[in-house]
Amino acid sequence: MFEQLLFGKLSLAAIPFDAPIIMGAAIFMFLAFFIILLIITIYGKWLYIWKEWITSVDHKKIGIMYLILSGVMLLRGFSDVVLMRLQQALAAGSSLGYLPPEHYDQIFTAHGVIMIFFVAMPMMFGLLNIALPLQIGARDVAYPYLNSLSFWLTFVGAMLCNASLVIGDFAKTGWLAYPPLSELYYSPDVGVDYFIWSLQIAGAGTLLAGINFIATIIKMRCKGMSLMRMPIFVWASLCTMILVVSAFPVLTVSLALLFLDRLFGMHFFSEFAGGNAMMYINLIWIWGHPEVYILILPAFGIFSEVVATFSQKKLFGYVTMVYAIAVITFLSFIVWLHHFFTMGAGADVNAFFGIATMVIAIPTGVKVFNWLFTMYEGRIILATPMLWVIAFFTTFAIGGMTGVIMAVPPIDFQVHNSEFLVAHFHNVIIGGVLFGYFAGITYWFPKAFGFRLDENWGRWAFAFWIVGFFFAFMPLYILGLNGFMRRMEHYSNIMFQPYLITAAIGATMILIGIFLQIGQLIVSIKNRHALRDYSGDPWNGRTLEWSVASPAPIYNFSELPVVNERDAFWEKKERHIAEGRIHPKNIHFHPIHLPKNTAAGFIIAMFAGIAGFALIWHMWIPGIIGFCGMLVTIIARTFDTNIEYTISKEEVRKIELAHLKEMINA
Amino acid sequence: MNLCNFIRIVKLTAMIELIILTLTGCQSKFFGMLSPQGIITHVERQLFFDTTALMLIVVLPVIIMSFTFVYHYQVAHRIKEYKPNWSHSTFLEILWWWIPCVIIIVLAILTWRKTHELDPYKPILSNQPPFFVQVIALPWKWLFIYPQQNIATINYLEIPVGQSVTFSITADNVPMSAFFIPQLSSQIYSMAGMRTQLNLLASQTGDFQGMSALYNGDGFSDMHFITHVASQQEMQQWISQVKKSAHPLTNLTYQNLLQPTIADNPQYFSMTPDNLFENVLLIYRNTFGTKHPREQYSMSNQ
Repeated sequence: MFEQLLFGKLSLAAIPFDAPIIMGAAIFMFLAFFIILLIITIYGKWLYIWKEWITSVDHKKIGIMYLILSGVMLLRGFSDVVLMRLQQALAAGSSLGYLPPEHYDQIFTAHGVIMIFFVAMPMMFGLLNIALPLQIGARDVAYPYLNSLSFWLTFVGAMLCNASLVIGDFAKTGWLAYPPLSELYYSPDVGVDYFIWSLQIAGAGTLLAGINFIATIIKMRCKGMSLMRMPIFVWASLCTMILVVSAFPVLTVSLALLFLDRLFGMHFFSEFAGGNAMMYINLIWIWGHPEVYILILPAFGIFSEVVATFSQKKLFGYVTMVYAIAVITFLSFIVWLHHFFTMGAGADVNAFFGIATMVIAIPTGVKVFNWLFTMYEGRIILATPMLWVIAFFTTFAIGGMTGVIMAVPPIDFQVHNSEFLVAHFHNVIIGGVLFGYFAGITYWFPKAFGFRLDENWGRWAFAFWIVGFFFAFMPLYILGLNGFMRRMEHYSNIMFQPYLITAAIGATMILIGIFLQIGQLIVSIKNRHALRDYSGDPWNGRTLEWSVASPAPIYNFSELPVVNERDAFWEKKERHIAEGRIHPKNIHFHPIHLPKNTAAGFIIAMFAGIAGFALIWHMWIPGIIGFCGMLVTIIARTFDTNIEYTISKEEVRKIELAHLKEMINA
Repeated sequence: MNLCNFIRIVKLTAMIELIILTLTGCQSKFFGMLSPQGIITHVERQLFFDTTALMLIVVLPVIIMSFTFVYHYQVAHRIKEYKPNWSHSTFLEILWWWIPCVIIIVLAILTWRKTHELDPYKPILSNQPPFFVQVIALPWKWLFIYPQQNIATINYLEIPVGQSVTFSITADNVPMSAFFIPQLSSQIYSMAGMRTQLNLLASQTGDFQGMSALYNGDGFSDMHFITHVASQQEMQQWISQVKKSAHPLTNLTYQNLLQPTIADNPQYFSMTPDNLFENVLLIYRNTFGTKHPREQYSMSNQ
């Protein structure tokens, strides 16, 4: 009885010792983890990591941690790609490939979940954290402790998802776990529970981060920065965060209902007793469609910043850009049904949602034209961030076109759930979202770390990514038009094989691109002194984040800026040329209040992880411990009133003068 | 001519030949909507190309502009025109709000019309009455019931050419699937306890592959069936042959079919239980409590 309450369904049998691929991956994971721990111990950095990172509430450090999480998970998600592409390249005709269906099905599910929730989302929040407070001239986000909690919840969600690789199974349902397949009857193992709880915990983190950034943008802008003077990245982020807080509760509810179905045999989504699976599918896409705009809007924001900076020209049509983003935000909520035209709804319903979907192409098209005309009569510097933008125009135009094609219901009846669909959403998510984030990472890297990324390696990585991308996904369009469905573990028609081999070659090229990016990072760290950015403004930037040192001092701005126009820093530089700079001796410094570091966010998230793991395995005692631990930590933290500290005037002066000295010497 | 040039020419010819081979080779090897064999899929293919053409009106200029602007205005070219503060033009912005608007309006009208015209539920007008088939998705195979002929088949569908066919579709003991014959029809979900419908009209005789278009578990990749489109005469012969030679589908054989199996060969049944399709629907609609109506055939029991 006690053992049942303590361990639930968990036993040693849950670890698949007989599966060599899984055990290999597990051993690799543990080795990597162990080596990292060893390095930290050898160099005696535990206290440093605890004090400066784990308990940090500094938005810049949290941003970096988000990016690290995203990078690690990208490798995990991409190893799934390698396995899948190899399987599909081999398993033609009578060959069954090397992966059995029950393994292959977990891989494509994990790939989707990891890439969306634990690669794209953390990358987005990482960039937001690094750039956004600096862009609006704030010293931190509105709720720094909440920010730390958000990150650690996302981290714990990702770790739960990873744990499923070794302990038990992951879901075999596809990345959105459609019932009735995800109901207990068809999926009795813990896979779907892993899916539910890793997303619930990460989703809670995302929702809290959404609230945090809305408050930050609304309340923390510096003096003079009216809404219509905000950089476009901030506008895009604001709309994104509105989408987050309106859409994520729907995800939470749908997953909770699915869990009730599985645990208590309720029948919200069952096939019998009045349940309705289409209800779940409607709900999940009411979250899911805004989710793809949650990913793409910040990328649009980054493109706007990068295009203007590297064309050395004002962004074209600022006001139209803002309205286009707002229209997209609104429309993203009324198109969810286009994900299942084939459920058998009437022609009126299908046509309405099809047309609503096409309408999104209008504001998106407007944005593309505005970017194009930002480059027109500019002076374009072809640095790596700009290369990603240029590639984006083509990939996104193709992806957008196929999106509109699929929005026509009768065409969707042919290509729905085929490789055409797979090609389409990779086309917009890689060619739109990921390229945008890569541009953003290269662009803001000096601001976060103080040195630029190596250009040469960046160019090579870019070349392999873009060529690999076309090789990997263009064949899939043709396959889809030929009636080749997604998620096929093997196929009998050998005519399809050349296309899938081409796609596998493409994936290999992308893999080389990823290795080159890792190489770029290593080379840049090695040459960090040569690549050091002393000026704080390596790209001749336009917005406030470039007005401070790189990396930004802990307090961001020694004096909160005052803004009189858009592109505030650009205008300030123009004025300085006319008026000259103020001599540092004449600047007056003030003491600065900052939030103290806290371990509360980390501890709460760890308890959430324990509770999540316990719920997956029905371990009720650890479950209660997890929940109580969360509650007690939250309450205990509210009694802590000593949450701020002050940086003295002298210290601020010291930091600022050191930066000025560096600037002049460089 | 030196060796190098010679090799170059050989390479070039080989490449051209390869391209031609692939192009001509592919022509006869298209499947799915690229090689439509029914009146619905013909229109769908046409619609696909029309929509693509409409979209290219914007997409092509965007791609061309992106490359020419970047090429022309890069710093290295030292172009004299440089307007760092030019950021607004009412005329241009109105222009590119309206161009996509016009295209989308055209496309919207097309969509509205074609969605109604090609609605899978809509009977296809023809002078003959439609041919009826009931489809039940089973764990991982397809059962086709021909109610007018009182025969049934597994993983094999035979329909007459030139006559519209109306399918009623449901599922039993298998997660939501999708009924799809790419060259002949649209796809539509099949769900336990629900009835979906699909109409098609095949314009060519021949064998076409059908499948589950929606992932539904381990046996998904093998959930195929052959669709044989036959002439009326051939069809009649086949029906009488099945009636004579095959075993009847009894309730007991149906219970066996509920057991999950993968990659079944076609089977033929000379008789079907009365109202099998309707009863399967009702079982799900009339089951309450927490036990799945097919619990004893559960996949996890295997």
